[in-house]
Amino acid sequence: MKKSLIVIAVSVLVLVIVAMIIGGWNLILEGLETAWNTAIQSALMLVVSFIVIAQIQILLSRERMDSWLGKYSGVKGIAISAIAGGLIPGGPYVYYPFAKSFAEKGLPAYILIAFLFGKHLYDFSRLPMEISLIDPQIALIRNLITLPIPIIAGLLAEYLLKNRTKANLFSEGEV
Amino acid sequence: MILTTAVLSAVALILFFVNRKENGKQVEGLKIGAKEMWQCLPLILGAFVLAGMIEVLIPGEFVRDWLSAEAGIKGIVLGTLGGLLLAMGPYAAFPIIASVLASGAGLGTVVALITSWSLLGLSKAPFESSFFGLKFFFYKSILSIPFCLAAGLIAQWIESLLR
Repeated sequence: MKKSLIVIAVSVLVLVIVAMIIGGWNLILEGLETAWNTAIQSALMLVVSFIVIAQIQILLSRERMDSWLGKYSGVKGIAISAIAGGLIPGGPYVYYPFAKSFAEKGLPAYILIAFLFGKHLYDFSRLPMEISLIDPQIALIRNLITLPIPIIAGLLAEYLLKNRTKANLFSEGEV
Repeated sequence: MILTTAVLSAVALILFFVNRKENGKQVEGLKIGAKEMWQCLPLILGAFVLAGMIEVLIPGEFVRDWLSAEAGIKGIVLGTLGGLLLAMGPYAAFPIIASVLASGAGLGTVVALITSWSLLGLSKAPFESSFFGLKFFFYKSILSIPFCLAAGLIAQWIESLLR
């Protein structure tokens, strides 16, 4: 979070300087006015989004996710794993260690791939943010288009990696 | 915007009551939400300012030639590259993506940008390479690129149908 804040602050500073050179104070004020309007428009939706995100976090514990995985294999396993990826709340500090535990449980590598693609593309706890900060229609179209990707990626991984687990995934030096 | 807020509010209310029934931790959920929002607020406000500046600074000519629907595959490739470089979380990345959209970028560019940020965003690199190894990160990234381009192309096709 701190790193992102530094990146944002430095980027803002650079753009403010560029705006000053190009259009002076008027352009800077125009940019700030755009930012203010966006903030006002999204304020209520942001508050509601955070409520939704936190309630999802409470509802879907890691233990609950754990119980869903490992029960199925093949296409069904890939679909469940992708959905579980989308449902697991939390940032990279939460889901990467969880995904790493798949190898210890002996789950095949394609389940891991489907899970990671599911987390990155579905991420249901991120959806309210996508809707409120970008645009509801764009969010809908994007989600519909990318819906099959974790399944396709999982199937591709199943075909390419057969039943290897992450533990022996690259031991033979090929994928 | 009002409809979206109403739908989200209904979802929040449903989840609140589901948690009340399932585990009784619904109030804890509200506290977590408030804490997270407070923590993310400086980032969100900073991202809004950044997005505002991007919106007024992107030259119209650049948008028309490189990012708009008319830019074709160029916009999709640029969107994919942009998503890769957008190494930040959703609170910071989404307002920036919104500013690219507001400046006139095509649907294909924006969808490629979001998909690429989701799958390829460089902020994931340290985690993926340290948890699963550099080779895994490399192969997963290579596998992801065609998906980003395909998503952008499909979105562009949808945009042409909607016109």
